[in-house]
Amino acid sequence: MTPRHHLNEATLVSFAAGALSPEMTAVAATHLEACRDCRDRLAHAERIGGLLLGQQQAAELDAAKRGRLRREMLDRLDESTQSRHDGTIQALSPDVSPGDPDGLPQPLRAYFGPTWSALRWRWVAPGVHMIRAAHTSGDTLLLLKIAPGKSMPVHSHQGTELTQILQGAYDDALGHFSPGDAADLDNETEHQPITAPGAPCICVAAMDAPLRFPGWLARKLQPLVGL
Amino acid sequence: MSSIETHAKDAGYWAGQMVAVSCTRDRDSFMRIYDHFAPRVQLYLKGLGSPEAVAEELTQEALLRLWQRAELYDAARSGLSTWLFRIARNLHIDRVRREPQWVPVQDALERLDEPEDAGPSPAESYAEHVDLRNRIEQLPATQARLIRMSYFEAKSHQEIADELGMPLGTVKSCLRRAFLRLQLGVRRGA
Repeated sequence: MTPRHHLNEATLVSFAAGALSPEMTAVAATHLEACRDCRDRLAHAERIGGLLLGQQQAAELDAAKRGRLRREMLDRLDESTQSRHDGTIQALSPDVSPGDPDGLPQPLRAYFGPTWSALRWRWVAPGVHMIRAAHTSGDTLLLLKIAPGKSMPVHSHQGTELTQILQGAYDDALGHFSPGDAADLDNETEHQPITAPGAPCICVAAMDAPLRFPGWLARKLQPLVGL
Repeated sequence: MSSIETHAKDAGYWAGQMVAVSCTRDRDSFMRIYDHFAPRVQLYLKGLGSPEAVAEELTQEALLRLWQRAELYDAARSGLSTWLFRIARNLHIDRVRREPQWVPVQDALERLDEPEDAGPSPAESYAEHVDLRNRIEQLPATQARLIRMSYFEAKSHQEIADELGMPLGTVKSCLRRAFLRLQLGVRRGA
């Protein structure tokens, strides 16, 4: 699958800078795993970071302190050469073999567990199931499963919503979104996704502010969804 | 013109020092890298909010990693300062912000592109490096400010919007435009 909807450049810059919340990072990383194009652009965003780092005008430390740190560094070069392979590669989830179709995308496993089959979906509305990640930093992270051919309420956002499509598909005014695609939306977007016929649409979404549904639906749905 | 040549030599010079470290474990080359970059890394980590002592300790550790993992350094893939930026950023997020997912996710992403695709030759990278450097210097003031707040203070779009009294959408479109400006030179060569 070659994604057709990508991360916004502003999101890539913040990912490279370490300026996204852990929840936004998890969704962005899920897209990056699927998208070579965004990985190339991320490499460029990191190059910007490297250049800025190199360009800094470093203040001079006082000579005594500088000498101490230098000596300390030289000592540590000796002590550590033999242990240089320690801990360089950590497996994320050794319990799922790579390529196992039951495995959730790596960046989501810490929040939702390692496998699709172990997910415990919660019914929230007709045709809509959800799992809300616990232990988040303050942003919201959701897995959503929406029945095929279903029209979602029109809604807008107070902040940023970043969604990655995992299975199925939906259409809205911005286009057709299928597995691998990211929808990187801000508060100026109002949209009404309609899921494609066939299979349910499963996506993961991070948001930094509550969703806003207009009118009666808000009052009806928001307490249910708990957003 | 001559300043462009100096910059190009800079990037090539540091990559050369690093090759000496990875091939022959050359301590003098390593300490030249250390003397140049350690104060810059420390300043970066302080800017992200670490107290002086923590920034100092993490800086030592970042440079030590450069020494320990020197054989993984690939000059064709990234400049030395980019590699150090990644190491320092990852240490900060892992140790200071204590986000345990960050490092494994970064490692997994990095491994995806490991099979040796023919990347740009180092010479091309240096030309790009110079080009990118010039483009950063020529960014309009607001874009430059948002870029610095992102990279040096790790501020989210919302935090930037709040701090500068700008609408969130403006922050995002401004950062987007800055990135596109900085990307132009790379795309042209690709």
